[in-house]
Amino acid sequence: MTGATGSADRAVLCGLGYFLPDRVVTNTQLCERLDVSEDWIEGRTGISRRRWVEPGEATSDLAVEAGRAALKSAGSGLVDAVVLATTTPDYRCPATAPDVAARLGLSGVAAFDVSAVCTGFVYGLATAAGFIAAGFAERVLLIAAEAFSTLLDPDDRTTQPIFGDGAGAVVLRRGRADEPGAIGPLVLGSDGDRSELITVKAGGSRLPFRVPAPDDGSQYFQMRGREVFRQSVERMSAAAAEALEAAGWQLSDVDRVVTHQANARVSAALATRLGLRRDAVTQNIADVGNTAAASIPVLLAQAASNGTLEPGHRVLLAAFGGGLTWGATTLTWPELEVHDT
Amino acid sequence: MYELLKSVMAEVLLLDVDEVRPDASREDAGLDSLAVVELSMVLSQHHGIEITDDELLELETVAEIVALMEQRKRPAAA
Repeated sequence: MTGATGSADRAVLCGLGYFLPDRVVTNTQLCERLDVSEDWIEGRTGISRRRWVEPGEATSDLAVEAGRAALKSAGSGLVDAVVLATTTPDYRCPATAPDVAARLGLSGVAAFDVSAVCTGFVYGLATAAGFIAAGFAERVLLIAAEAFSTLLDPDDRTTQPIFGDGAGAVVLRRGRADEPGAIGPLVLGSDGDRSELITVKAGGSRLPFRVPAPDDGSQYFQMRGREVFRQSVERMSAAAAEALEAAGWQLSDVDRVVTHQANARVSAALATRLGLRRDAVTQNIADVGNTAAASIPVLLAQAASNGTLEPGHRVLLAAFGGGLTWGATTLTWPELEVHDT
Repeated sequence: MYELLKSVMAEVLLLDVDEVRPDASREDAGLDSLAVVELSMVLSQHHGIEITDDELLELETVAEIVALMEQRKRPAAA
């Protein structure tokens, strides 16, 4: 799938930024209420601490900061579209992207949200690449932002320690397939027969909010952990293999693997399944937790900032999330200016 | 079969198996709720042994897991 390398119909990464809220929440702070030990949390998740929003701090607040950082990295504040991948929009209605666009001085451009839970960033890459390929846009700002802590049951030890809040953003410009930063072939998939594995049931059209609110946990994020673990390893490994084949790459060609930071145990199982070199596996989950859709761009930005990702590295991206949804793609890392926040 | 289990635990699940004995409890051996999922996947894919993670979670010792592996490894009754 080489395509016509001379035609400028591809999305090329040209800006990158991230933002994490200030509030650090350690395992120690969670242990007492959840009646578990720090070792229990660390051993099952690989997570030591995570960032959570303060009450009143919303997804858009994180998205604006990450978007601003990505636009600065790209060297231009101008884009034709703003795509926001999120599971936690500020409101049920309207979408959060138009507000974010306006606050970035981009009022007037196309702006909408993409909902694919933890796969949202990869779905957003496909959306942005499609806008560019179709001629709808020359430059797209793609932000993935989550205030996931706002969905969590404060007494659920299986979800509360895992998730963190944050935002990552990229600017994609029109370019050629053979340029560094060009987004490779995208593999996307879904399995709605397993939608029950990852849910927030209340507040949608099937179970609208009533007064009093239902008391069965349906207003909270719920996840069937063991089946999600199995599906995430199987789906991400298959999608990654498919994306590599579509790109014409061998596994041994890959310098860095950046997967959705679901849980350190998922990442370890995935690395074993794919036969990845240890030094290729890139991680930040210990310090930020699982930031859902934001996890891949936050990790990309941190890795680019600290030198783990270098220009010329061949990078494999893979994600998995509720829906179920999954996706993978490849790119050769470009020269980028990334500012640590 | 005991050696197979120990090798999967060491090489795939990256658990420390030096101290593991047959009478060790599943949890003490490091086979928590996520590890049994991975064990179930590896036994199925690489060793032709079909045991669900639900079944593994009901077993209390390493020896019980080994016994079920031996039972499931047998070819179907002719």
